Amino acid sequence: MNRTHSIGIKRPSALVVENLSKRFRGKPALDGVSFEVPKASLTVILGPAGTGKTTTLRLIAGLDRPDSGRVLLFGEDVGRWEPKDRNISMIFDNLALYPNKTGFENIASPLIIRRESKQEIEKKVEEMAGILKISHILKRLPRTMSGGERQRIALGRALIRSPNLFLLDEPLSSLDAKLRIELRTELKRLQRDLGYTFVLATPDYTEAMAIADTVVMLHQGRAVQVAEPQELYDKPIDRETACFVGAPQINLVDASYEPNGNGGYIKVAEARLPAPPHLQRAFSSGVRDFELGIRPEHLRMGDPSRAQIRSRLVDIEPLGLKSVLTVQTSAVELRLLVKSKETREFSIGQNMGIETTDSSMFLAFDRTTGRRIA
Amino acid sequence: MLSKKLTIPTVLIMAVALVMVMFPVFWIAMTAIKPPTDWNASPAIWVPSEPTFINFLTLFDTDAIRKYGVGGVSQSATAAVFGSVFASVIATALSVAIGLFSAIGISRYGNGGKATPLIILSGRMFPPAAIAVPFVIIFSTIAMIDSYGGLIAIYVAVTLPFSTWMLKSFVDDVPREIEEAAMLDGRSRLMAHFRVTIPLIRGGLFSTTMFIFILNWSEFMFALVLSYSNVNTIPVQLAKYVTATAGTLYGVQAALAVLAMVPLILAGYGIQSHLARGMTFGAVKQ
Repeated sequence: MNRTHSIGIKRPSALVVENLSKRFRGKPALDGVSFEVPKASLTVILGPAGTGKTTTLRLIAGLDRPDSGRVLLFGEDVGRWEPKDRNISMIFDNLALYPNKTGFENIASPLIIRRESKQEIEKKVEEMAGILKISHILKRLPRTMSGGERQRIALGRALIRSPNLFLLDEPLSSLDAKLRIELRTELKRLQRDLGYTFVLATPDYTEAMAIADTVVMLHQGRAVQVAEPQELYDKPIDRETACFVGAPQINLVDASYEPNGNGGYIKVAEARLPAPPHLQRAFSSGVRDFELGIRPEHLRMGDPSRAQIRSRLVDIEPLGLKSVLTVQTSAVELRLLVKSKETREFSIGQNMGIETTDSSMFLAFDRTTGRRIA
Repeated sequence: MLSKKLTIPTVLIMAVALVMVMFPVFWIAMTAIKPPTDWNASPAIWVPSEPTFINFLTLFDTDAIRKYGVGGVSQSATAAVFGSVFASVIATALSVAIGLFSAIGISRYGNGGKATPLIILSGRMFPPAAIAVPFVIIFSTIAMIDSYGGLIAIYVAVTLPFSTWMLKSFVDDVPREIEEAAMLDGRSRLMAHFRVTIPLIRGGLFSTTMFIFILNWSEFMFALVLSYSNVNTIPVQLAKYVTATAGTLYGVQAALAVLAMVPLILAGYGIQSHLARGMTFGAVKQ
């Protein structure tokens, strides 16, 4: 996707990435990536491992040079600027603390390099340590700190000055689940309260959904979709994005559309489902084969004798409030997300009927290209 | 004290190895304090009954040994000691400095592509004797033979592969993100290397320096073929105690060998105590 995307709320762009491409040893790592980051917003670059997230951040920071394309910071092309002149803070995915320096020295280093006065540095570092709750580890070396403490020191080093832009490369990946959720909430609050502009890379779609104003979905070096989180979930651009965003994964089944007098229906294996209006519109030209995408929460159990789809229960995976059921129909395996208390009387192997709940959320994908049709 | 892992066979093998390594050292040390009559006595005298420092004195005062009726030392070792110190120190400093920049260039910027590190190493693939003669001819032509400049140039050329490769491995161990963090914190590329990379590899830098110094200090062949009268080093001087009138002056030779060993032992000790691993522990996520 080669055009620059505009985002709902109109704010001056802190960062514009235009058509950025980069090859490593002949293999394309980034292929014409474009997006725009409004000032004081949080943009998440989402994508599986090896898809070019880190490369994108490194090109923005000036640590690598793009083969083509431009990076604009507040309207200025910074292509020839050294990293130090771009006024960007970055948290590396491995943190990259100075191992031979204490927590205090690590956080203070951007200020020391800028030759700020000693009192000024001490004041700022103590203030930052207070915000991040790390005052007690300032005298220690990184090797004596826990993962979460190191993470906060790295955060402190990035936040101590007021740069134009923050780049965060999987900043929460090494933490345990509880701390990760705690810190991501904190990150979002810091970003919003201080009015900073964040670009955060992560492979974790829940993280993206939770904190992003805008999500840039990267796939194989291309920005396939730039959208608000809910839009990414509800209207993914293609099959890959639909599968990547959402757990349990979206159900994909081969289907065909057959029009009739009162709106047409979707034929899935031996079942016929009434086609929702948005699919009718997309297929108004006639019969067509496609791939139907139904999120697990849009299926429910029904009476085995009367339900639209018949199946056999294969697996129950309780997740607390909800449970994931896996059922086998004559054609495919389907996943359902249902309230756990409704699954109490079920046993593996029993016959079940499946019904769809919200057909307005049905997604239709082109079978060959994987692009969403409707 | 035997720890659990030191079984009797291990101890035996280690004892044999130790004797093989240490016996020549012991013999040289003993010979260095033997008076001329004991040098090649038969049966051999292991520990001299009347230890003397006459051999050491003779190194610097060639006539000292004459009181034992032995003569023929023509040249004091002073010039050789000076030559060794001068050539080794300068050559080591140059080799390590050039090697450090090469190492950073190769490790961080991939300068010269994949081939360069191997090409640098290829200098070590010839036996030194094979390139010694061409060097004599080249240096004669450009008037660098028998000069410290020439000897130092050769030493740098010969040790550069080692310093580059050793330092490259130390630089490789420092995550490049630490330098990049420094760049984003406000340092230039060059200063990031000076203020971040080099302090983090100082243990490796020290070990490499010591190692290169040992190589230079004990080098014999190039010093021999490239020197006539201006240039002299300890290894060359050691070969000069073979005289026509008194045979080999074993004691004096051993005394110089003992002196030559001192910096080597210090350097070796320095290497093992400074080769601290785990310098960068805690910098990055494990």
